[in-house]
Amino acid sequence: MLSQEHITGHAATAIDEGGMLTMLVPALTILAVVLCGLFAAMRVKNKAPAFVTVALLAASFVAVLMTYLNLGVEKTWIAHGFDWINFSWSGSENRKLTTHALIANFSFYLDGLTILWMLFVTGLGTLIALYASEYMSHDVGAGYCRFFAAFSLFVFSMACLVMADNFLLLYLGWEGVGLCSYLLIGYFYKKPSAVAAAKKAFIVNRIGDLFLALGIMLIYTHFGSLEYTTVFAQTETYIEALKEGNLEVIPATVQLIPLLLMGGAFGKSAQLPLYVWLPDAMEGPTPVSALIHAATMVTAGVFLVARTYPLFLLSEHALPAVAWIGALTAFFSATIGMAQFDIKRIMAYSTVSQLGYMFCGLGVLTSVGGAFHVFTHAFFKAMLFLACGAVMHGFAGQLDLRKLSGVGFMRGWKVTTVAMLVGCLNLAGFPIITSGYWSKDMILGEAFANPHTQAIGWILLLTAGLTAYYTFRVFFRVFVGPVQYEMGDEHHGAHEDAHGHGEATHAPAHATHATPHAPGWAINTVLAVLAISAFAIIPFTYSHGGWVHTMIEGSTARYEGAAAYLGHGEHAHGTFLGFEAHGALMVVSGIVGAIGIVIAWWLHYAGRTTAATSRADALLPKLGPIPRWAQHKWYVDEFYDFLIVRPLWVLSNIFHFIDQYIVDGIVDLFGAAPSLTGKAVRPSQSGELHSYAAWMAGGMAVLILIVILVAT
Amino acid sequence: MLLTALILMPLLFAGIVAFAPARNARGMALLGTTLALALGAFVCSQFDWGYADKHQFGAAEPFVWFPALGLNLSLGVDSVALMLVLLTVLLGPICVLCSWTAITQRVRTYYSWLLVLQAAMTGVFCARDVIFFYICFEFTLIPMFILISLYGSTNRRKAAIKFFLFTFTGSVIALAGLIYVAWYATTTSGGRFQGWTFDIGALESAARTMSLRQQSIVLLALMAGFAVKVPLFPVHTWLPLAHTEAPTAGSVILAGVLLKLGTYALYRFVLPFVPEAVVEYAPFIGVLCIIGILYGGLICWVQTDVKKLVAYSSVAHLGFCVLGLFALNNTGITGSILYMINHGLSTGALFLLIGMVYERYHTRSMKELGGLASKMPVWATFMVFFTMASVGLPGLNGFVSEFLCLLGAFQASSAWGSGLWGSLGLQPGATPGDYGPWFAAVAGVGMIVAAMYLLYMVGRMVWGPLVEPRSHAHHAHGAEDPNALPRDLTPREIGLLIPIAALCIGLGIYPKPVLDALQPPVSRTIAHYEQLRNSPRLTPTAPAEHASAQDGEGAP
Amino acid sequence: MSDLLTLAQSGYPAPIAGVTLAHYLFVSAAMFVLGLIGFLTRRNLIIMFLCTELMFQAAGIALVAFGRYHLNFHGQTFVIFILTVAAAEAAMALALVVLLFRRKESLNAEAWQDLKG
Repeated sequence: MLSQEHITGHAATAIDEGGMLTMLVPALTILAVVLCGLFAAMRVKNKAPAFVTVALLAASFVAVLMTYLNLGVEKTWIAHGFDWINFSWSGSENRKLTTHALIANFSFYLDGLTILWMLFVTGLGTLIALYASEYMSHDVGAGYCRFFAAFSLFVFSMACLVMADNFLLLYLGWEGVGLCSYLLIGYFYKKPSAVAAAKKAFIVNRIGDLFLALGIMLIYTHFGSLEYTTVFAQTETYIEALKEGNLEVIPATVQLIPLLLMGGAFGKSAQLPLYVWLPDAMEGPTPVSALIHAATMVTAGVFLVARTYPLFLLSEHALPAVAWIGALTAFFSATIGMAQFDIKRIMAYSTVSQLGYMFCGLGVLTSVGGAFHVFTHAFFKAMLFLACGAVMHGFAGQLDLRKLSGVGFMRGWKVTTVAMLVGCLNLAGFPIITSGYWSKDMILGEAFANPHTQAIGWILLLTAGLTAYYTFRVFFRVFVGPVQYEMGDEHHGAHEDAHGHGEATHAPAHATHATPHAPGWAINTVLAVLAISAFAIIPFTYSHGGWVHTMIEGSTARYEGAAAYLGHGEHAHGTFLGFEAHGALMVVSGIVGAIGIVIAWWLHYAGRTTAATSRADALLPKLGPIPRWAQHKWYVDEFYDFLIVRPLWVLSNIFHFIDQYIVDGIVDLFGAAPSLTGKAVRPSQSGELHSYAAWMAGGMAVLILIVILVAT
Repeated sequence: MLLTALILMPLLFAGIVAFAPARNARGMALLGTTLALALGAFVCSQFDWGYADKHQFGAAEPFVWFPALGLNLSLGVDSVALMLVLLTVLLGPICVLCSWTAITQRVRTYYSWLLVLQAAMTGVFCARDVIFFYICFEFTLIPMFILISLYGSTNRRKAAIKFFLFTFTGSVIALAGLIYVAWYATTTSGGRFQGWTFDIGALESAARTMSLRQQSIVLLALMAGFAVKVPLFPVHTWLPLAHTEAPTAGSVILAGVLLKLGTYALYRFVLPFVPEAVVEYAPFIGVLCIIGILYGGLICWVQTDVKKLVAYSSVAHLGFCVLGLFALNNTGITGSILYMINHGLSTGALFLLIGMVYERYHTRSMKELGGLASKMPVWATFMVFFTMASVGLPGLNGFVSEFLCLLGAFQASSAWGSGLWGSLGLQPGATPGDYGPWFAAVAGVGMIVAAMYLLYMVGRMVWGPLVEPRSHAHHAHGAEDPNALPRDLTPREIGLLIPIAALCIGLGIYPKPVLDALQPPVSRTIAHYEQLRNSPRLTPTAPAEHASAQDGEGAP
Repeated sequence: MSDLLTLAQSGYPAPIAGVTLAHYLFVSAAMFVLGLIGFLTRRNLIIMFLCTELMFQAAGIALVAFGRYHLNFHGQTFVIFILTVAAAEAAMALALVVLLFRRKESLNAEAWQDLKG
């Protein structure tokens, strides 16, 4: 007996050739990269790179949209670009001729999951590029070109990652987004902290990538192919077996694959224990944080799990592990977020936390919920970052919530404040009117609906309350309350110094930054569009995913009604304290969110007269060292440094020593052997004529003696 | 005929350069290498890719050189050799151009030896005769020795001597191994002396009939020579020194082609000559590779001399290459050969870039250099690009080969004998050692380490606040040297980086032609291993019996 | 011929009857050993040179004796050569000795140890 509500009765989705229009996306984005490169070479000192990028990204969005409208998501389409790594060879196995091939083409696999992801990647990409055209305007020149080239390259890589029809092209996109992330985090390359953050992001991601690469190798070894169609056709039979309750037909190697892929996903999506790079990544310009480190790239891990969901269903441990790590990350990073003062970092930790939610969604078998949350989160989190970025831009880099207050009451900040409010409401999961509420609720409900995952549900519910609190902590501190502010000290001046190319192009408007300047049309437009769409997507997504549900149902991420860890494909219905889970959670999560908001209001708004102090200050000492520990991010970075980086550094030095003095020393010893021997026998050459003569006479005597002895 | 011309062309120009006026030397050298490149392209176009495993362009009647010993000057290339020949002739003009302003003393000597070196390297890849191969192989040492000891930096004498003696010692042992094989081949059938031959093809089929014991000894001898050249882990210490002290063009050739002589020789001699011994000892060699990957990588991380860092990175990279080669399956060997080319391109380019900085600042210390992106944006762009190629970023050339090598290692267990764990007594019974994935996993950690040290290098050299040597800053404020290079790259320098960059992208996004072209020779190499796997001779008890039988047969 | 050989190798002619090859060789060996001992024990370059001449001539005696013993002139031919060479040598060696003496005002062989390793 199978769980009814998840079975839609479709067999393998039909696969057809088509969707060549999507090839435009990589083509256009690469064109944008090339053009930006040319602009840099031509020393263009205007906003041309930005407008080219915006135009080409918008065209990409249209291409994806057209593909969706033309092809729909009932079928899966394969668009073949060109052969990438593609070769075959014949061999013999037990005296039989066999043919092997390694095929990883530059081809796209278009199903609902792909289209969903591509729509928001290109859509948000366009909007954020528009925002960045203003945000980065103080850097017009080579830096501007560099920014938009990397930006377009990012969209290109993301397109490869999402639309790939094989694991290797996915890996190309996967590392490609890592590269762009590296380049963009390190955008202000004169700042050592930015360089260090970029390096950290790349290396930590590489750790995850290793697991992904090993997973891919194991897939190839086991399934003999890297292409989704071939691999998933084979998983189909395993899933059928699972539905029959034959758990033992699944080999251990297949069960290992999702665990390896999971490692990759956790690196890219900043989950425990590899989350440490994401908060540091905020060193990059804010549009980058919004697009890459909030909306799109970090959801690549979620995408990977969703894409390979059939593999995850085959393992007894993979999905529970995904759910648990997601839940723990969600809670853990929420606690850190509560204690931070840098508003961008708070948003970063909230991203880590929300990504945990998404993984939980996948882990508790609501892949729709996971994808749904990715989708809504992309909008509101991008908006939150962009609003924070507007503040940062206007207040000369000021990000400390103790130094900003009442921004909303200042001239020209209305759009930003409204957008921020909408974003905060969504993130906090304010009931009914926010899309974030619906997506979060779906995951929570499903967690409680499954008796195996009750504990995860409780963690997530608690995290929802924490989220509401820290989100509105920012809003109440920065955007409302008494008008009081302190300008940042680094912003434009630092950028110019940091940059070196900005010289003459530096806009006169920015010459003095004693006073804040409100955002201009580009920033306001983007914020308004995002704020509207955060509401506009509710009808699409309302109740059990709606439109997102239809997108996921036809894709690889659909839940097939059988998962290895549930045993016989059945899962008993869990409840929330005896109530029907989904219904009860709608109410409960709304209440929890509201409580969080109220606490934030009480501690950080009510009765606050200055920017720097609030009622919470009185409360903190009573909690002992915990707030301090949380503010120091529970010393995880220090812990890693102590446990991994330092020992490795010492080991490297030891190796260096060994290489110089032992390995090379042995070589030198061999080299020295002849001269050492020479040294040893040298004293026999005394230089005295008599000793030579005596040696000669003695030698003759010995020879004669030998002759005599031998002869007789 | 074409190949003979390809070898003689640089030699001819070496002669011209040596006697022409010094001011024309670099121009003539450029002409010679460019003509060789054009000729190489022509050879490439004439090559029959349908029979890529056949050695083509060999003369119908090889030039008989020393009949009593069966020595012929026979030439011929299959697709593997052709790729490496192309790499050699491509790096020729690049090496001349990168020395354009850097070499001002004794230019005629410099360029003529550079050309001689190119001829010798081409000869190694084209040779179809063991002795001719060996002569070219050894002869590369002399020009390189001169380039390092005359044009190197401060510690050049020691570097040149160590380079020479180290590699020479190794290859003499390899020569002994090769001669043993040739001697064995004289008496293969029926113990009757049949006259000498040094033809690679003939020796290949003869050598395979050796007993496991004989093969193991030959393997040891050959590895002694070729592993030094590669270089594999414990015998790599000449490399960082030689690389660091060599002039830029020397480093480029060293990284680009000279190290490939070792891997090519492994491919050409070790794999086909002594398959049974290779099957037995491949895991050991794999372990050495992995040690090299991790050990070399971690040492890179603590270097302050940027050239030394890249030099040690070669140790790590070549570890991947040899690991793929000894995976003994199609993906591994294909990846390994591709790795030879890719490493030549990306590491060669890194040495070029470092050379360009050295020419401007006269230092290689990362303590004295930093944040050059703000001064040399074009240089910085190329630096980041080639670093990424070296890290193995997908879409660039390094990834394809690195992934194939690792995939090969991942699946290597089926090709390997149970020698390693069996001899250590660790073999857990039934499965014949399913440890390939572990090799791939541990080697894969090398990818992380590679990211660590290369990003450390980029983080120091390219990003961060600008740091310049004090003497240089002082100099800049003083009188301008009219011959001084501009602070960013000149068109000449950009022009010699762009072809390499284009190849890196081209091989990264469309490696298919190369991969297809490599399949016939690789399959031919593999076929014998598959045969071995299917034949009973590999069963644990067989080698011992067979060894004694072979010994009896092999005795003259 | 064989008569002659017997004659040469037996004790004829009467005044020196009983003197055989062994006697000549004994003289030669004694001279050689004397020369050798002289060479090893003395430090004066000229004396040492004379000792070498003594050894030379000892070898000459042995050669002549063997020539006589085999009734041919090979040994004597060699001796002529040796004498010529010895004469040339003596000229050279004494010239060298003179030059060496001029350098250090000493004929002591121990004064020159420049080839010490």
